[in-house]
Amino acid sequence: MELRLCHLYPEVLNLYGDRGNILCMEERLRRRGIGVTTTPLRIGERTALDRFDLFFIGGGQDFEQEVLLADLASGKGQEIRAAVEDGKTFLAICGGYQMMGHYYETREGVRCDFLGAVNFHTVGADRRMIDNYAFRLSEESGGSVVVGFENHSGRTYLGEGVRPLGTVLKGCGNNGEDGTEGCRSRNVFGTYSHGPVLPKNPELCDAILSSALERKYGRAELEPLDDRFERLAHDSVLAKIMNGDI
Amino acid sequence: MKKLQTVLAVASCKLVRSLLRITKRGGGTALPGKAAMKFQKNILAETARGMEIAVVTGTNGKTTTSNMIETALAAAGKDVLANKSGANLLSGVTAEFCCAADWRGRPGKRFAVIECDEGALKQVVPLIRPRVIVVTNLFRDQLDRYGEVMHTLEQIRRGVESVPESTLCLNSGDSLVSSLALDVPNRVVYFGLDMPFGGQEPRAVSDAAHCICCGAPYRYHFYTYAHLGDFYCPSCGYRRRPPEVSVRSVSRMDASGTEFCISVGGQNYPARIPLPAIYNVYNAAAAVAACLALGESAPAAIGALSGVHSSFGRMETFYPGKEPVQMILVKNPAGCTQTIGFLTGLPEDYTLVLCLNDRTADGHDISWIWDAEYERFAADPRLRQVYVSGDRAEDMQLRLKYAGVPEERIVLEKDNVKLLAMMRESQRPVFVMPNYTAMLSLRAVLSEATGAKAFWEK
Repeated sequence: MELRLCHLYPEVLNLYGDRGNILCMEERLRRRGIGVTTTPLRIGERTALDRFDLFFIGGGQDFEQEVLLADLASGKGQEIRAAVEDGKTFLAICGGYQMMGHYYETREGVRCDFLGAVNFHTVGADRRMIDNYAFRLSEESGGSVVVGFENHSGRTYLGEGVRPLGTVLKGCGNNGEDGTEGCRSRNVFGTYSHGPVLPKNPELCDAILSSALERKYGRAELEPLDDRFERLAHDSVLAKIMNGDI
Repeated sequence: MKKLQTVLAVASCKLVRSLLRITKRGGGTALPGKAAMKFQKNILAETARGMEIAVVTGTNGKTTTSNMIETALAAAGKDVLANKSGANLLSGVTAEFCCAADWRGRPGKRFAVIECDEGALKQVVPLIRPRVIVVTNLFRDQLDRYGEVMHTLEQIRRGVESVPESTLCLNSGDSLVSSLALDVPNRVVYFGLDMPFGGQEPRAVSDAAHCICCGAPYRYHFYTYAHLGDFYCPSCGYRRRPPEVSVRSVSRMDASGTEFCISVGGQNYPARIPLPAIYNVYNAAAAVAACLALGESAPAAIGALSGVHSSFGRMETFYPGKEPVQMILVKNPAGCTQTIGFLTGLPEDYTLVLCLNDRTADGHDISWIWDAEYERFAADPRLRQVYVSGDRAEDMQLRLKYAGVPEERIVLEKDNVKLLAMMRESQRPVFVMPNYTAMLSLRAVLSEATGAKAFWEK
């Protein structure tokens, strides 16, 4: 078995230690004897996206996201939508997550059209939602508790047919209003938990890997790994978050 | 009336600081300044009037560069005020000037070297009107506090725009920093490295991959580290400016220091700093540029560099036992990766202590550890044991696991007293890489054990 990962726009969408997620997915596949290759796909580079099984798209600076929109408009956006339709697995984080939706509307009312691969949109707000936070994954994504760090001023509202990735336990999540966090639509996993969300949350990582393996091979039985360090990191942060220590 | 306010402001500042120190509440770095500002909002302008001031800002190297400039000025016989405690916000800077002033608020010294937080620059420089502003570099740093680097750059730009008469000393190899010169009338002295350093691979994670003027990807004739190097934009022509103070070659670098050749106005000079790592060579070039802008002579400024002492927690060495314990403050991926590069290049076995806190002064978000290249530690046979410590020791432990450091070499120890015991008994040199508040607490334990001075006495 083998999974082919595509890291979309690593040269611009790499804020906040995003590469930790790539390392984590690669490592958890390798340790189970499953092959993995990762291909970076930068601005201006073209390749057939249907050869990949799993896509990662991270968060970036506003300045660089502008550069990126032009590249998406040149055809890559169409291919990404097709891959989503085709049931390919996506992990989209923070700015990358917002980009999967229909649009981002700034506080001044300027609307910036995004990919529209998943039915949701984002609206700019005054208050930045920023801190450690925790949410519980929905059953379809494993049901465990995820700890992470959110840092966004955009409020995301899910449209019809799109389920949240989980329910906020502490923090803001999608918009600080409806208790939802992230999105799950087909095999798209979207979250505001930026940077290295997967290493400390191995269940989420395995849920993502399983969805890609199932689509490709019709089955996914991931054997358990030694997650002692992972659990320690997860539990110590979760305790701090729930106690309000950070 | 204004005179009375000034007297009260200065007096309250001195009084609060004395009380804090007598009662051992620490250095009293921010509170005294706040007290002074209560009496007179612009007391800083009053107490800095007529002084010759150099301000140092930027992500990394503020403290060390300031220390180098101060050393050079002192060597030239000048009496220099400096905010050595690292209190670099408006309140801390105000406290330094007030406490140095006489009771009527007249400046006590003629020269000052002030390190200033990037965000606070726009508040501080309009009041003190420095002769020189040094901008060392810009890297991603505490994103939850400062925001993205473009935001930080904007903050600095606003500060610079308020003082068109100040000379700017800019890192020519940093495309973000040197862009400050594009829209302002200020005189500029560029400093930098005129040579490649390290592996000439573009970094996986860059804070400035695209041209700040037109958005096209930069190309490089050479890299030094992170996004620094001889960049140019093939599309619009924005490029590195030739540095007037330039490092031409590095002939030796080890734990005891660095020897290099520095060129000023076409004249080459040998230079030595008792500090390792390439970022300290940049700091030295920045300091020389600042001294030139202050009217000092190049040979004197360069010669003084060899007398620089390590500053607070930056390459500071302690001897709690037989072996040296060297503390290297790391706060962001760029500095951290450079420190890792330095340590993994050492010729002897060593023990490592990584301390990671997530308090307000550190930034609550510790995601950046995934952008630093801890992988190099895994490949270093001389690294015998790693201790992880601090509020987020477990996160650091997990990072090391993913970096490939064998689990049996990693020890989780959050107790500073036990860490001190380990350092006392160590048969190998110990290197400590703490972030800011972790450095403060561990340094307190180490200085008590070894009789080193508190920071406000240094």
